[in-house]
Amino acid sequence: MPGHRTKGFCASAAALALCALLAGCGGPGESAGGGKAVLRYTWWGNPDRAERTEQAVALFEKRHPDIRVQTSFAGYDAYKQKLATQAAGGDAPDVMQLDYRQIDQYASGDVLLDLARQKDVLHTSQIDTGLLATGRVDGTQYAVPQGRGTETVVYDVTTWKASGVPLPRAGWTWDDWADAVRTLAKTTGKPGATDPGQSEDAFEVWLRGQGKALYTKDGRLGFTADDLTRWWTFTDELRRQGAVSPAEQTTQLDGSVENTPLGRGKAVSDTNWDAPASGFLALVPDGIALAPMPSGEDGTPGQYFKPSMFLGVSANTGHPKEAAQLVDFLVNDREAAKILGATRGIPVNETIRQELGPQLKDFDRTISDYQASLEGTLKDPPQAPPSGDNALQTTFQRDYDQVSYERMSPREAAENYLTEAKAELRS
Amino acid sequence: MTSTTLSRRPLRWGRVAVHAGCLAALLVMLYPLVWLLATSLKPADEVIASLDLLPGRLEWSNYSTALDGVNDVSVWRLLSNSLLIAGGAVLGNVVSCSLAAYAFARLRFRFRGPLFAFMIATIMLPHHAVLIPQYIIFNQLGLVNTYWPLILPKFLATEAFFVFLIVQFMRGLPRELEEAARIDGCGPFRSFFKVVLPLTRPALVTTAIFTFIWTWNDFFTQLIYLFDPEKFTLTLALRSFVDASSTSSFGPMFAMSVIALLPIVLFFLAFQRFLVEGMASSGLKG
Amino acid sequence: MTTTDVPAPARPHRSATTPKRRPKREREGAAWVFLSPWVLGATVLTLLPMAVSLYLSFTDYNLFDPPHWVGLRNYTQMFTEDPRYWRSVVTTLTYVVIAVPLQLALALVVALALKSMKHGKGFYRSAFYAPSLLGASMSIALVWRAIFNDGGTVDNLLGTGGWVNKPGWALLAVALLTVWQFGAPMVIFLAGLQQIPAELYEAAAVDGAGTWRQFVSVTVPMLSPVLFFNLVLQSIQAFQVFTPAFAVSAGKGGPADSTLVYTLYLYDRGFVASHMGYASAMAWVLLLVIGVVTAVLFRTSRSWVFYASEGDR
Repeated sequence: MPGHRTKGFCASAAALALCALLAGCGGPGESAGGGKAVLRYTWWGNPDRAERTEQAVALFEKRHPDIRVQTSFAGYDAYKQKLATQAAGGDAPDVMQLDYRQIDQYASGDVLLDLARQKDVLHTSQIDTGLLATGRVDGTQYAVPQGRGTETVVYDVTTWKASGVPLPRAGWTWDDWADAVRTLAKTTGKPGATDPGQSEDAFEVWLRGQGKALYTKDGRLGFTADDLTRWWTFTDELRRQGAVSPAEQTTQLDGSVENTPLGRGKAVSDTNWDAPASGFLALVPDGIALAPMPSGEDGTPGQYFKPSMFLGVSANTGHPKEAAQLVDFLVNDREAAKILGATRGIPVNETIRQELGPQLKDFDRTISDYQASLEGTLKDPPQAPPSGDNALQTTFQRDYDQVSYERMSPREAAENYLTEAKAELRS
Repeated sequence: MTSTTLSRRPLRWGRVAVHAGCLAALLVMLYPLVWLLATSLKPADEVIASLDLLPGRLEWSNYSTALDGVNDVSVWRLLSNSLLIAGGAVLGNVVSCSLAAYAFARLRFRFRGPLFAFMIATIMLPHHAVLIPQYIIFNQLGLVNTYWPLILPKFLATEAFFVFLIVQFMRGLPRELEEAARIDGCGPFRSFFKVVLPLTRPALVTTAIFTFIWTWNDFFTQLIYLFDPEKFTLTLALRSFVDASSTSSFGPMFAMSVIALLPIVLFFLAFQRFLVEGMASSGLKG
Repeated sequence: MTTTDVPAPARPHRSATTPKRRPKREREGAAWVFLSPWVLGATVLTLLPMAVSLYLSFTDYNLFDPPHWVGLRNYTQMFTEDPRYWRSVVTTLTYVVIAVPLQLALALVVALALKSMKHGKGFYRSAFYAPSLLGASMSIALVWRAIFNDGGTVDNLLGTGGWVNKPGWALLAVALLTVWQFGAPMVIFLAGLQQIPAELYEAAAVDGAGTWRQFVSVTVPMLSPVLFFNLVLQSIQAFQVFTPAFAVSAGKGGPADSTLVYTLYLYDRGFVASHMGYASAMAWVLLLVIGVVTAVLFRTSRSWVFYASEGDR
């Protein structure tokens, strides 16, 4: 093994690497030829989003002839890794699209610029204050939400109606939901819903319905092992009764609608975010509808408007003003909004949303109407989750797998989860 | 006369049996590929829900969607980018790995044993562990968003797998040929180029084929180092197209997978004839 | 052995005119010329990153904040506080024991079958290789999962139910995905078989050896370097298995961690959970384990691997 022979070399290499890490490896975003400021702008998404974004960026370049924007996109998982590697190398793009779960890590890693310093060109007055606050870490605005989404119970309309079970209504509780899925399973012969036990998002809705939260303001766990045990016992019983999907089905969830039990024709409903729910249209021939998530016993709503994505500016950018102008354009410009439509979620700029809403077509319209029906009934979103949450989302699924395959009791799994969560949040 | 016919008959039956066995094995082996092809022509509602192998109706639009999908950058541009990288990688690996392999297999030098052991050790290093440090180095050199991080390592024989492969082949060559060459006054360079390299052709062709395919499919490295869509490869563009976080469409995705596979299949088919020739002609007769 | 060159087969009648042996130093210089690309690559692109990752393995490093020295904490946590780590070790060992022998046996059998063929060899070789072309393709993941799912082809044929969604079966589906791609060892076996001089078989036939006898006394020893090569390579690759497990479980290592192999967990810790220090420590432990396994293979190889050119050993 090479280790022992090269001790001195190791030490100097490590020192060198450390220097590289600390120095941030020089600033990107130098001007290219022609005196134009060149901005790099990256996002995750699909080709439709890419095409519309290209159009919007072209309009921006037309309005600002002195700025050139280099764009690049990838799928979500790939994007996340690429951005992390770039950021670690001190080479983050000037303008980057960020997820809720990335904000805290990128902000505390000094990757992001304090956007308040660019408030002359980047306006936020048209964004709901609660929503805007989600881009803030320790009082500093590191990112601006670009679109919003919320969770929904998406269901196969025909099957649900045919079963005679009353349709979901606003303000229904988790008990109502459990009764519904049980009856659905009896009358239709297939589970009433995807087992929500594996979903940290669904757990959060349930928790908030009881006035609690996943994380406290100072980034600690906002619930106890008892809470989680109750949630998992609740879903585990439904699973044993056949009211929600069996472990063999639930384990196949991979983020695509095609692999949900509803998408595979093996359940009547699914809990999902509203935007991806459009994918069910092609899979459920009889048509789907969106219903609000169940609320707590006393009617406290658990779901909230979540920023579907954010825009942030690199702390290392050579052109902070131009980068902020691009962000402002993407969030607040009317023309840009028309081009972008609902590809990044329903717009957060209130004027634009009211103007654009009626013009949306097809499923975008369905989502827009669904969100409009919830307007004013929901509570403020929580602040961005602490960076450890990235890892915990999968841990949550893994631990619940142990429950649904009956290898652990809900109590054991919940305690496992809490141990890991505490370690994760400490570091 | 009788004895030869007697001994031939079982042999012929043996051949038939071998062919039958191979065909049966092939049927099983190729089923998933047939499945992929069939699925790439299915309409969305049949992709997962339907159990039939063959599509109920052919959905050719999967393919047109797939071809349209790669935005502003033309498919030909992506293809030539991919070919440039894969071609550079093939050249780099063949040249640098055969040079290093010759030294390890045939020449004597100080620390040969330890260095060889180290070379083997580098095959074992999980790729993920050196990814970040390598990225930092290329970033320091200002080479991110160029093809250098994808091609340069191949010219520096970093893929020890191929060095090892060629070493193993060279070790199997009879030493007498080089001894004879040396007696005829050849130095190590001439005997490498004139004697050893031609005999090593099967291993070199194998190296070329594997390098091409692996480089073509190496999504992760391309993703990390390439930024500008103009520089994207086919694999990268196709995978960007397939995005699980938004509305994913399995039909066009399978269609794209088929399109992305075509160049590798063609390369393999074209090259494999050469592989046969290379083995037959070089052999050990030289 | 280390101080003398392998003696050339002396040809007495030419020895007077043979040019003088090149001085050793010059020959050593030639070796370094051949090695120079590799030396540069190995130092800058392998050794340096390895050193950095070794350093990182003693730190807490989340990619964003500077690494923070924690001594052996990553290692102690791994060995004493992380049950999932040990589960991944057991899973990986199980996988290696299933996949490697199966894949090599299949590759060798097919290569032998093809070698004896007069017609259609090229066709078969391409056809058997075809699955290996798909190696890193994402589409194959979906194909595999569909085929091994409830109501998939395997379920319909064997009535076993889905494999990929049962903890006891999923790893087998992963192993089969590897075994299915036996093209690389097969091609290497085949190339090795082609290199065996036909004269050896002829000589054996003259001595009255039958097919089996020829296989044992000609094919096996002559093929042993290639067999050894494939064994070492496939074992190393099997310990590092990532793509098939990632593909079949959609990156999660499920169901119930049953396909969470070592590198998948390493990737999960490093790139999903942003614990690069912990992941680096895992990488170094893996490196040491693979090193030991390889060393054992090399040690045993002396008794069964035969090199034509080094018959004097």
